[in-house]
Amino acid sequence: MLLKTKKLMKAFGGLKAINKVDFELPANEIRGIIGPNGSGKSTFFNLVSGVYEPDPGSYIEFDGKDITNEPPHKVGELGLARTFQLLRLYQDMSVINNVMSGYHTLVPYSFIDAVTGRKKIWDQEKTIKEEMMELLSFVGLADYAELNASELSGGQRRLLVLARAIAGKPKLLMLDEPAAGLSPVNVDNLMKILMRLKEKYGLTLIIIEHILKVVMDTCSKVTVLDHGEKIAEGTPTQIKDDNAVIEAYLGKKMDDEEMRKALAV
Amino acid sequence: MDKFKEIIRQYPFLGFIIAFIILMLVPSVFFTDLYQSHLASLICINIIVAAGLNIVKGFCGQVTVGHVGIYAVGSYTAGCMFLYLGSGLWLTLPAAILIAGLFGVAFAIPSFRLEGPYLALATLGGGEAIRLFIENGDFFMSTYGISNIPQPIIFGVPFDTPDKYYYIAMPVMLIAIYFSFSVLRSSVGRAFMAVREDPISAAASGINVKKHKMLAFVLSAMFAGGAGAVYAHLPPGYIHPNNYTVIEMVTFLAMVVFGGLGHIWGGIIGAIIITIVYDLTRPLYEYQLFIFGLTIVLTILFMPKGIGGFIDKYFIDRRFKTKTGAASK
Repeated sequence: MLLKTKKLMKAFGGLKAINKVDFELPANEIRGIIGPNGSGKSTFFNLVSGVYEPDPGSYIEFDGKDITNEPPHKVGELGLARTFQLLRLYQDMSVINNVMSGYHTLVPYSFIDAVTGRKKIWDQEKTIKEEMMELLSFVGLADYAELNASELSGGQRRLLVLARAIAGKPKLLMLDEPAAGLSPVNVDNLMKILMRLKEKYGLTLIIIEHILKVVMDTCSKVTVLDHGEKIAEGTPTQIKDDNAVIEAYLGKKMDDEEMRKALAV
Repeated sequence: MDKFKEIIRQYPFLGFIIAFIILMLVPSVFFTDLYQSHLASLICINIIVAAGLNIVKGFCGQVTVGHVGIYAVGSYTAGCMFLYLGSGLWLTLPAAILIAGLFGVAFAIPSFRLEGPYLALATLGGGEAIRLFIENGDFFMSTYGISNIPQPIIFGVPFDTPDKYYYIAMPVMLIAIYFSFSVLRSSVGRAFMAVREDPISAAASGINVKKHKMLAFVLSAMFAGGAGAVYAHLPPGYIHPNNYTVIEMVTFLAMVVFGGLGHIWGGIIGAIIITIVYDLTRPLYEYQLFIFGLTIVLTILFMPKGIGGFIDKYFIDRRFKTKTGAASK
């Protein structure tokens, strides 16, 4: 198992944002997480990536290591990358610097090397830059490398966030609503790029997404959260027909009589 | 010209040797009296402080208003080492850098939990506390100040006049700029910027936020400490607690903000311009704080990226045009 959580819990005051979630993810899988707003999807990401500290009794394991109480940068170092719902781009840095800072943990030279500014650093920086330019052209942003991230369009920002997360060559990539606010064409484009990246880098993916088409088309398995609890898990087809899921998230089908009543109110 | 740029980029050291030779020649060509040399030394010292302040404020995004306190620590380390041990600049400079670095650690700790204006208040308190501690300590000669701090003697030649002291301050400044360039152009500088832009997302990329805040504070404190030591030995070699007030801090901030936060050359250009303006407005002593405060406010309002922003914009626009031009062919 690449990622495993046992009895994962997090309460904000009296609200149990995540309540005893057991989650297992083997390598090379694409897992979707769905659920209504406030069901704890993003909290789950924040707990796994170390942004929040889980409540006592929880257990998180990544790649065979216990990461339950590790700070976020340690988790990032181990090869778990994530994106954020609100993107959190480095607005005032150039596109290439955004991506290059994602490479931080793999930089081969030490701090002392950096201070003394030896020539070998500049050679290594050059190789890093070339590698990152390759990644940028892979997602189609090579032409914008020297622009500030704040000058990009919404769709390009989503691609940049993706590139930054992949720059550190992670084993597991967690995407928090990667397609939110994109037009249908751009969603298709993003998913195409994502699939190509997965193949190229051998990624394992967890995707939170409200656009069900994305989840149903790409994910091999789907986990459904509601009120902080896991209510279902299975293949997309199983999930579609699950009664609990339909009630909590998809909405049930009404017959004509019910529809008339609902509209009259 | 592009080939020259490429060579400089690969061997940054070469660029600094060229700059050193040019700056060695400046006094004999341009300066007509001792006062100009004195001002040039002051500019060198301020450039060191501004370069350091740019690391912590411009690149790492941590608001610090206590830097003048660390500058004072550097000066008084040098002053006290002369007073009690009789040491010269070659001993006091490294000692000042080290001790200022330790104070940098102390200043970094509040930044782990505080942000923006709150951090500014905490560091302002720290800086003022250092000044008041010096002003009321007999060990530091309190309000008498320390005088007659000697200038270094190299090969029997005393560097005891302003025109000679320039040749001490200038190389120290070049070394400081070299270090700041090396750090800020490397992955460490990128990590600083990432911490400034978004600490949470930086941590997700595996950047240790606390460690980098600490690094930025310590590095910039070392710059300020070194500058303080060079200032203490500046002829006539006199330091007084009144040289380290909030007015000085505002001047340092004005240099970095006016020059361009997060822009290495911007900070240096800002230091040159503001030092000269500071000197010209000396007769208007009561209004200096007002003038520099207004400079900061106007700069932030009308050119938030300072002078460096203009330089950047010009270069980026050009690069983008050539990029798309090449793509359309």
